[in-house]
Amino acid sequence: MTLVAPSPPALPPPRRRWGTILAVAAVLAVIGYLAFSNIGSAFVYYLTPTELLARGDAAVGDTVRLGGLVKQGTISGPATDLSFVLTDGDAEIPVHSTVAPTRSFREGAGAVVEGQLGRDGVFQASQVIVKHDENYQAPSPGAQPSNHGFDPGIDQAP
Amino acid sequence: MLPTLGHVALVIGLAVSLFAVAAFTAGGRGGDPRLLASARRAVYASFGLALVGCGAMVVSLLNHDFSVLYVARNNATSTPPFFSFISLWAALEGSILFWALLASGWAALVLYRYRSRHPVLMPWVGATLAAIDSFFFAVLTWPGNPFLRVTPVAAEGPGPNALLQNHPFMGLHPPLLYLGYTGLAVPFAFAIAALITRRLDEGWLAVVRRWTMIPWIFLTLGITAGAWWSYEVLGWGGYWAWDPVENAALLPWLTATAFVHSSMVAERRGSLKAWTVSLVIATFVLTLVGTFLTRSGVVASVHSFTQSAIGPWFLAAIVLALTTAVSLLVWRLPQLTGTGRPTSVVSRESAFLLNNVLFCGLTFAVLFGTLMPLVVGATGGGAISVGAPWFNRVNVPIFAALLFLMGVGPALPWGRASWSSVRERFSLPILAAVIAVVGAWGLGMHGAAPLGTLGLAVFVGGIMLDELVRGARARSRGRREDPATATWRLATRNRRRYGGYLVHTGVLVMAVAVAISSGLSSQTSATLRPGESVRLAGYVLTYDRLVVEPLATDRRVTEARAELTYSGSQRGTLATALRDYPNSTTAIATPSVRTALGEDLYVTLLAYDAATRSVTVRVFVNPLVMWIWVGGAIVAAGSVFAIWPDRRRLPVEEAQPERLPIPEAAASVEGA
Repeated sequence: MTLVAPSPPALPPPRRRWGTILAVAAVLAVIGYLAFSNIGSAFVYYLTPTELLARGDAAVGDTVRLGGLVKQGTISGPATDLSFVLTDGDAEIPVHSTVAPTRSFREGAGAVVEGQLGRDGVFQASQVIVKHDENYQAPSPGAQPSNHGFDPGIDQAP
Repeated sequence: MLPTLGHVALVIGLAVSLFAVAAFTAGGRGGDPRLLASARRAVYASFGLALVGCGAMVVSLLNHDFSVLYVARNNATSTPPFFSFISLWAALEGSILFWALLASGWAALVLYRYRSRHPVLMPWVGATLAAIDSFFFAVLTWPGNPFLRVTPVAAEGPGPNALLQNHPFMGLHPPLLYLGYTGLAVPFAFAIAALITRRLDEGWLAVVRRWTMIPWIFLTLGITAGAWWSYEVLGWGGYWAWDPVENAALLPWLTATAFVHSSMVAERRGSLKAWTVSLVIATFVLTLVGTFLTRSGVVASVHSFTQSAIGPWFLAAIVLALTTAVSLLVWRLPQLTGTGRPTSVVSRESAFLLNNVLFCGLTFAVLFGTLMPLVVGATGGGAISVGAPWFNRVNVPIFAALLFLMGVGPALPWGRASWSSVRERFSLPILAAVIAVVGAWGLGMHGAAPLGTLGLAVFVGGIMLDELVRGARARSRGRREDPATATWRLATRNRRRYGGYLVHTGVLVMAVAVAISSGLSSQTSATLRPGESVRLAGYVLTYDRLVVEPLATDRRVTEARAELTYSGSQRGTLATALRDYPNSTTAIATPSVRTALGEDLYVTLLAYDAATRSVTVRVFVNPLVMWIWVGGAIVAAGSVFAIWPDRRRLPVEEAQPERLPIPEAAASVEGA
């Protein structure tokens, strides 16, 4: 942990300086604790079905983003109680979602879901993100904060 | 013809800016004073040339001149003129062109404003600003040339990105943000100039604070407008998602805010000087980092980003700016040590110091979370993203601590606080906060974050109000003025203090609105057939009919519109739509937002079935969201009030170029 002590050095009397430095150090320690405790859970990994299944039982319960194609003929149920299969050509994983995806969600299209793999092998999605086609180019990153990562193709339900 | 003119103007702009750098440098080292006048005119000329470049691009867009690659990629013959015009900043090359216009505009404005003042500083300020302009002109000449031609010329283009032609806010939000971003080069230039010439005195601080506040206001408005745009256009019911592009705008705002606070300690107590200069440098470097992150395609997102060659150029600029500034800072460090007297831990200085520690903590946390996916990806750790929960877990407590300090800091005296004065100032606001929290809880408001934020806001607001009332009462008694006059005169005689209070009031309004809208919003989604209803938070929404037809303003766009009737605390009809743009595989949602003082009803069409006429909608009831935008406006108004030129001081300012600031004691509250 790096201590940033912005106060100018060499000022008497030292005991008062120490009070300030200790206060600053305490604040930095709290911020550091908040940032780094349990940091592993902050990272959401982006995996393909093959990669997720390769993790075996260890993958159960971890929040990950799973990306693949919606397999032909597998979508069933109403929009708010949806089942489908995501595939990367080799492996496939059944997905269940209670969050309605947008209209561009369709069989054969790319999709990214965020959620956890359950013990029963079904991936419970809390977000269904419809992936843009490969020709899509972000217009002007930076020009419009917030038009990246969020568009109507992304469902932001918790 | 016109594109060639635009391109030539940019190349000449590069030459003229490079000349200005050389002439300012020579003039600053004691050369011919006519060199300085010439260099200044060169900067004015570079602004004119950037204007010609932007003009050529705008006319090409309005004329749908598809021989220009940029137009061919971002325009269509059916694009309405307004959206053709704003396409100037809606894609990569055009946005850098617009950027160069604003950067050279700020440079020309500052050099004109101070043409006969600060004779020692200004040559170096000019050289730095001209160097920054040169960089943008160079990017426009080589890797980001917006006037590249294309043959054969297409008869039709794809049109602007669908998301960006969906709302007129696109005309407002990016220019505000760019004005803030580019303007932050001005304080950086003053910092470089002061380090070179060793003029880091109070007069310097006053100028730099003013020129940080002006872009800061634009940045604040730009970020608020961006959040509003996200809320009104994107249809996910929220306004802030800790997206890398949002974070890029927030980072320099955080350090600039820290600077505005630490500069007061530097001015008042003569301490924290090196730290204050570091914040100015960090702010500018973070604007470059933000641009690099969002324009070079290094940040991963569900979007496939435009791969562009400008990344290495920005990286080089970051390294150059950082090494130059840090070397200068280290070189001048011996002259920057403070003259401040030691102070008690419980004092206003300590509050400011803690404020700075917290703002820097926020900056590091946001930067860390934004860069982490890059670091993990580069070290072979796989593709990851850092989600909003992490950002909230780290940043929300820091924001809460900052809110608390906002009340405590101004109530503490400089130097050393006595416990009796602390008790006297704090007891009433604490009582008010407790009553507010208990009252809100009694009225049915639950959740630690909303209640805690409300309590903090009442506490802080109470301290500010208490002080305003005390000051106004003392003035009204002493000068026999009526209370309204006394309050107005007290505030206008202490613009910085009471302007600052107004800014803080805006922040309080925003904080409460954010805490309550994110903590107490409700949502549901439902698939409906005509005549069916969905209920949420006291509202009943009934789906009436579906209309699918081409858009009146652009016939190539098909709009599917679901019409609903709603009743609850508001009642009426609304239509929410999905639009199919020819150049987008994703249908663009057009949410319908019914805004009221208390809460917003927010409806997005997720999907429809043209055959069965059934629609899937998501409904949100978001309390108090409107007050976030109101709070942003109050913040901006307070800042304008704080930096508004004081009539009585102007003649003095004109007469004494390197003046010291007028002591604020004359009419201050402590003196009353």
